[in-house]
Amino acid sequence: MTEPADLQEPAAVGLDLADTAGGGFVPPEPLWRIRLRLFLKALRRNWGLFVQNKIGVTGLVVIVLFALMGILHPVLMGRVWEPAIYDPVRGYDAPTKDWLVVEEVQDPDSEMDLATARLMSNPFVKVGSIVSIPQQPAPPSGKHLLGTDPLGRDILSQLMYSTRAAFAMGAIAALTATLIATTVGSFAAYYPGWVDTGLMRFADLILLVPLIPILIVVGALFTLTLPLLGILIGVLSGFGGTAIVLKSQALQVKVKPFIDAARVSGGSNRHIIFRHIIPNVMPLSFLYMMFTVTEAIALEATLSFLGLMNIQMSWGIMIHVANNQGYLLSGMTYWWLLFPSGLAVTLLAGAFFLVGRAMDEVINPRLRAR
Amino acid sequence: MTNKPNETTQTTEVQPGDTLVEVKNLTMDYVVKEGRVSAVSDVSFTLKRGGSLGLVGESGCGKTSAALTLLRLQAENAEITHGEVLLGGLDLLKLSEEQMRRHRWSDVAMVFQGAMNAWNPVYRVGDQIREALDLHWPVKLSRAQARERIAELFALVGLPADDMDRYPHEFSGGMRQRATIAMALSCNPQLIIADEPTTALDVIVQDQILKELKTIQAELGMSMIYISHDIAVIAEVTDHTGVMYAGKIVEYADTGHVFATPRHPYSWLLLSSTPSITGPRRKLAPLVGEPPDLMKPPPGCRFHPRCPFATDQCRTDEPPMEEISEDRFAACWNHQQVPVGLSEAAGEEI
Amino acid sequence: MPKLFIFISKRLVQMALLFIIFLTILFFLLDAQPGDLSQQYIGNPDIPPEEKARLAERLGLDQPLWGRYLAYMRNFFTGDFGNSLSQYPTSVTHLIGQALPRTLALFLLATLLAYYLGFITGKVLAWRRGKFTEYALTVGGVGLYTVFYPWFALIMIWFFGFGLRQWTGFRIFPIGKFIDVSDWTGAAYTTNQVFIAMIVVATLSMLAALVITWAARRWLDPRYAVRVRNYAFLAGAIFPFLYFWFSPMRPFAWDILHHTFLPVMTLSAVSFAGIMLLTRGAMLETLREDYILTARAKGLPEKVIRDRHAARNALLPVVTSLVLALAFVIGGGIITETIFAWPGLGLLLYHAVILEDIPLAMGALSIIAVLALVGHLVADILYAYLDPRIRY
Repeated sequence: MTEPADLQEPAAVGLDLADTAGGGFVPPEPLWRIRLRLFLKALRRNWGLFVQNKIGVTGLVVIVLFALMGILHPVLMGRVWEPAIYDPVRGYDAPTKDWLVVEEVQDPDSEMDLATARLMSNPFVKVGSIVSIPQQPAPPSGKHLLGTDPLGRDILSQLMYSTRAAFAMGAIAALTATLIATTVGSFAAYYPGWVDTGLMRFADLILLVPLIPILIVVGALFTLTLPLLGILIGVLSGFGGTAIVLKSQALQVKVKPFIDAARVSGGSNRHIIFRHIIPNVMPLSFLYMMFTVTEAIALEATLSFLGLMNIQMSWGIMIHVANNQGYLLSGMTYWWLLFPSGLAVTLLAGAFFLVGRAMDEVINPRLRAR
Repeated sequence: MTNKPNETTQTTEVQPGDTLVEVKNLTMDYVVKEGRVSAVSDVSFTLKRGGSLGLVGESGCGKTSAALTLLRLQAENAEITHGEVLLGGLDLLKLSEEQMRRHRWSDVAMVFQGAMNAWNPVYRVGDQIREALDLHWPVKLSRAQARERIAELFALVGLPADDMDRYPHEFSGGMRQRATIAMALSCNPQLIIADEPTTALDVIVQDQILKELKTIQAELGMSMIYISHDIAVIAEVTDHTGVMYAGKIVEYADTGHVFATPRHPYSWLLLSSTPSITGPRRKLAPLVGEPPDLMKPPPGCRFHPRCPFATDQCRTDEPPMEEISEDRFAACWNHQQVPVGLSEAAGEEI
Repeated sequence: MPKLFIFISKRLVQMALLFIIFLTILFFLLDAQPGDLSQQYIGNPDIPPEEKARLAERLGLDQPLWGRYLAYMRNFFTGDFGNSLSQYPTSVTHLIGQALPRTLALFLLATLLAYYLGFITGKVLAWRRGKFTEYALTVGGVGLYTVFYPWFALIMIWFFGFGLRQWTGFRIFPIGKFIDVSDWTGAAYTTNQVFIAMIVVATLSMLAALVITWAARRWLDPRYAVRVRNYAFLAGAIFPFLYFWFSPMRPFAWDILHHTFLPVMTLSAVSFAGIMLLTRGAMLETLREDYILTARAKGLPEKVIRDRHAARNALLPVVTSLVLALAFVIGGGIITETIFAWPGLGLLLYHAVILEDIPLAMGALSIIAVLALVGHLVADILYAYLDPRIRY
């Protein structure tokens, strides 16, 4: 017959019961240290769960790679690359290519006919001579690993420089959105009645109207700089669907017994909301933050592509410049103008999405594949 | 309308009094990532047409797993390594999926645990019953005929006929359970398995439903298998009881006998740990410990770690199911040590 | 069923209110512009001074805020958006009227295609488990779903417009625009006539299919009703093709159709991926429900369980997502129109914005918002129809 587990003597675990008689309970360690320890423990556990998910890890790796790219750029600019040539906005280079002038072009990659040669070089060339024509945009070469754009600027440099814009965009939008959505959701859950209804109706309105046409029109009426767009996206996303989801999460937290305990022990409404409800809603907010970053990066790139943004360089601008000058719709020759930039947006936005999905599985246990 | 002609294909309609169900040495494992879980081990029982059998035991003891094999609805990762499941003489384990489908509901029907959610929320209750009728009823029923049949069933379980046009969420708990029973009865099965039929209901409704089930069973001459962890339910409605522990049947006898004079230490402890309102006041004998991990079941008798009567033999040899007297079976080396009756067994009166 | 109508009317009223709030916000946005609208006209020599005066009166520019707001609302609900600045003196309403059917066609086709194909694919794929399938689907699906849309559209053009021609000598789809202008010289019809004819025929035949389905469900056995529904929709889809085959509009209709393929495919591809992943996820969740076990116990064959029980319930979260997907379809549709030079509302809005044609921009934006609202309403009604629990 098994015995029930032995109860340990209170003194053995460091509790001096004399303290509790009539007085307050004195914990063995300072409170903040206990909190920190618990937080780190939870973090380690969640990280363990997170890394089990290959998708999430892939996303994280991609994000880190891009971050490295962004950090690397100023280093390269200072040491390895000459700013005059490689500056992403103001640099200029037009590497030349040699062509053989012939009567009849057999190999269009290295030969040129007389009329074109005379047009592009000087009117005195003859058949048989070699002409050097500057290329703008230039295809990838040893000097410019990804080629140059229609204005003669190095694509790789532009690519790396734009990472900064993308991350900044994501950060601003995500932080704003999360701040607003969490607060709105928690307040709506905590104060039922007209606060709740008002906020939810407003969220309905936001959901109703699609973001892109609004942003397009706003872009026309006001000048859109990066921070402004970030805040705008943050506000519009924050009040919308995310708020509704976070509100339902806050509702679930609200009915938990520890909230009643907090109230009974004299917690004010503000205290309960900020110290209890919001921290329990945070994991979900954090999750949606990831999706906001995805959206923000894609939106900025789209608006830049349409020419409505007031920034100097971003991936969207790269595609815009190429498209505006007609290089993209004339054929597939200028592939280096399209692929790197578009791929960058897709990869980074996608990476955040994947991380978000993986986090979803950590936070929602039901989704875990068993 | 209520009697369907006998199906001459495979199972024959078993006459009342004859054996309907025979489960012989059924052994089933669940294959999981960490290994194999021995969920059902060497389980045997029989059931006559018109009789009712109760399977009682703690959660996870294998009662539902064993019963599901009667419909061949065991989980995908379940592997039956040994045994036979005979229905009217036909071994269900040897049938193809196609053949088995024909027997489901028409010969064996089930009222599921969590019958609350057994209904698809987007279709009307009548339509879902109709689905079963369309599949199994030997004659093609017109819309009107089907409605007539469903009205009959509803009357049997005490529901108004109009309810067949309602959606499941419009029913209260008790009414939904009745509708589930009605659906189970719809194709005149020979056997109904009721898995925790009243667990989610309040006591009053529970009582009503159990009484109705007994009446219906008597009227239609059906066999029933009740699965429950609530011994009170089993005591009320069954004529035979099988007590299960850790995937094995440890005691099997007439219900009255099992409850008055349990012969297996587990049944005895189970019954002794329940206070009785009408009996003498006595100290309760607790059942300590926990059921074993079925991935590594204890050697010998699976109950020995918790058994107050365990001897060395119990730790090494598994006791077989012995017929200790007329129609009483127990699987224990020391069943003679178990005190007879409960009132003296549990110790001092308070 | 009457409960359904009550629900619809309630939703309609809510939507109308929200829309009015939206218009109000738009008004304030507009009003916040430094200077007034007539300043826009000063620089433009094409616009005569009488027009400017009329404009000032129409917009109530000399009145206080309240007066301007009333004028704005009155103008909107009488359909008076003023005249376009970039295409003076054409009225904004006229331009929108031309562009609207084209945009509608694009949106509707893309949405229907994406949802129908996405749902079926997701439903079938839910039955396939296994490591490889999971990886392939996740990578493929998520890849398509998160791709940067303008980039994706350009790549589609490259592949179908240039790539195929380079490799196979055929250009299957034209690169952009709505029609090949050269094919239409001397035609007896205008583009709008043909286009509207196409839309009308397609809509009517689909409506007929719906009516037949409804009637069948009412009066026939459920088994036959399902068969009738399938045939009715098949016929409804084929009929427009037959109609135009025998009509004199044939070559023109074909030209328009030919130009429609690529934009519609591109727009629906991304939604398709999202819907497929969503359906599959919803199916996997649904399969764990108790009523699936009951259905199996009843002896139903696997296909029936999958379609009649699991899929029908999995449909619910998918339809909910329709609401979110709308935002993408409309936004994506605008981008599609700009890249493919498809002359619809999106392109109109874009040009208006680039050329600072404020009346046109406002008008286009408002109509787009109306579209969004209608789509939202349709999604809500559809959901209420599918889920009986929500009506009570």
